[in-house]
Amino acid sequence: MQNFNRRGFIKTGVAGAAGFVALSPLSGYSAASKQDEEIIYRILGKTGLKVPVISFGVMRADNPNLCKAAYEKGIKLFDTANGYQNGNNEIMLGNLFKDYPRESLLLATKVRAGGVDKDGKPTDQTTTEDFLTKFDTSLSRLKMSYVDILYVHSVNNPELLEHKPLLNAIKKLKKDGRIRFAGISTHSNEAAVVAAAASTENWDVVLTAYNFMQTYSNELKSAIRKANEAGIGIVAMKTMAGGGFFDKEKTKPINTTAALKWALSNPDITTAIPGMTDFDQLDLNVKILSDITLTGDEMKDLVVPTAETGLYCTGCTKCIPVCPKNLPVPDLMRAYMYAYGYSNPAMAYSLLGELGTTDNPCNGCSPCRVECTKNFKVKEKITDISRLVNVPVDFLV
Amino acid sequence: MKNKLFAGLFMLLLFGSAYAQELSLPELEGYKKSTNYPVFKPDNLWDYINGAADTYLAYGFIDLHVAEYKKGKNVIKLEIYKHADNTLAFGIYSTERSPSFRFMNLGAQGYVADGAINFFKGNYYVKLRTFSKNEKTLRSNESLALKVSNMLGGVSEMPSVLSRFPEAGKKINEETYINESVLGHKFLNKAYKAIYEEGSDNFSIFIIENSSREELKKSVSAYLAATGEDPTEAESGRYMLKDGYNGTIFLSWKDNYIVIISGLSKDQSDIADKYTSEILK
Repeated sequence: MQNFNRRGFIKTGVAGAAGFVALSPLSGYSAASKQDEEIIYRILGKTGLKVPVISFGVMRADNPNLCKAAYEKGIKLFDTANGYQNGNNEIMLGNLFKDYPRESLLLATKVRAGGVDKDGKPTDQTTTEDFLTKFDTSLSRLKMSYVDILYVHSVNNPELLEHKPLLNAIKKLKKDGRIRFAGISTHSNEAAVVAAAASTENWDVVLTAYNFMQTYSNELKSAIRKANEAGIGIVAMKTMAGGGFFDKEKTKPINTTAALKWALSNPDITTAIPGMTDFDQLDLNVKILSDITLTGDEMKDLVVPTAETGLYCTGCTKCIPVCPKNLPVPDLMRAYMYAYGYSNPAMAYSLLGELGTTDNPCNGCSPCRVECTKNFKVKEKITDISRLVNVPVDFLV
Repeated sequence: MKNKLFAGLFMLLLFGSAYAQELSLPELEGYKKSTNYPVFKPDNLWDYINGAADTYLAYGFIDLHVAEYKKGKNVIKLEIYKHADNTLAFGIYSTERSPSFRFMNLGAQGYVADGAINFFKGNYYVKLRTFSKNEKTLRSNESLALKVSNMLGGVSEMPSVLSRFPEAGKKINEETYINESVLGHKFLNKAYKAIYEEGSDNFSIFIIENSSREELKKSVSAYLAATGEDPTEAESGRYMLKDGYNGTIFLSWKDNYIVIISGLSKDQSDIADKYTSEILK
């Protein structure tokens, strides 16, 4: 057998010969750390925390060196959860950061409220004690005396936000100095949950799913705006629309840089927490730390391929004579595509204005007589897109 | 109201067919079984376990069956995750395992921790959970776990590659399987990892079992290429290299196996030698 040998760090040839080959540091990884003045920071609402626009969703990472590299490159907010890897994720971060100056980084974790029912409503098993016990476990794993942000994990029903035992737990943790700020995370029924959070004084931060593929983005954007105005800091997750691919077969990858920049193009979003598992992803995201400008090409990359969404109307016009209201169906389908395919509701709004579309033009017409050659659910789409005419133009980007 | 009604109908339409449970889940004496959950697929796993879903998807998740067993206020929730193969089922199981848990002879391996019982068998990763502290309920939980284990097909064995890890210094029950991006490198995948402690040194050993020589060469060459070196055609080799992110790395390969040791310093090649020789003998 050959041996590793430290005698002289010189390259002696390919392996196979007795001895060793000692190589230089990986030259492929030359992405330098960002200078602090280059990094784009935003203020996380009323918390006052100054946060780089890119943070780290640690959930899948299993290599502490990846988190270490992220920290050294300027990422400061690390996001984990009590349940990720059954606690091993928090343990990894705790072991890594235990020797770091605590004030040099921000740590967010999430704890699930126990006993919520299938509709996300609290029950009598949603207790203060249960929540505090889980949080204590998290804090112990993290080897920290406090976390910067504690989220109630996965809120999908606004009722949970008002549940007294949960609020009592949050209040106690703040009073004891074990959490600095309290938040909620939501990735289902987000618009309603974010809007509800905005109407109380209890929450400092909201972590919400937010991406260019969401078909309800206008509603969510309005709720985010409302929350932002109420001083709530907004953190975006699921910016890659879940899987990072347009199609189920994973043959059409999403331009992840463009997707991240799209989320950050909303000034109400303070930071995003893309999940990262390799250094290539990290280096891509580090570039965004100092440049969030969405280029024209990147914008094009975010156009959802029509084969996957079927949003493209061929303009056969066979629908027009069939429609009893003589609606410009192909144009309305185009408006729908602008909003949901191009993620450009302003463009859709403009087109609807040109067409003189009213709110719900299909009202009173049932069943729909149009049999679309592309099998579009025409009435459903028109009803959906025409709601846009009631949205104040200032809310559209 | 109309919107809610529509949304409800839509959800029913969307999930209606998926509500039919494909697995015939066991009964538990004295408990009422409820299977009113959809069978979760890769597309909607997020709806059930949120951010944790990404990790499951990375380990070849196929579907999830959920059931609840109720007796008064006591509830046991059963989740059966099906993965693409036995290795991936071990992989997801191992990411959530901790050596501090009480291990039990269930499936290939299982453990109990604070009302939860998790185990894996064949392609399945099974999780049972009760929030009850009642002793009888906890015993029922164990009884249900046993029934499920007996019901599921597949081998009750740990992946054979794990036996290649030398026992000396190995931390018990800390082996994991990493399906993607070993050490944070996209070009290194499908590695078993064990953690070692020798004196005051802690280090990790990764073993990658390749399905062919070509696959092995591709991975090795990619690692070397990242250092600016030429790919190698050598049948076996040992390199000590400096990985810009992971520090000193000992990289070796022979037959279809790649061994990577991380966490030792450059003057600890004797330790690396000892372990590598034992694994690749």
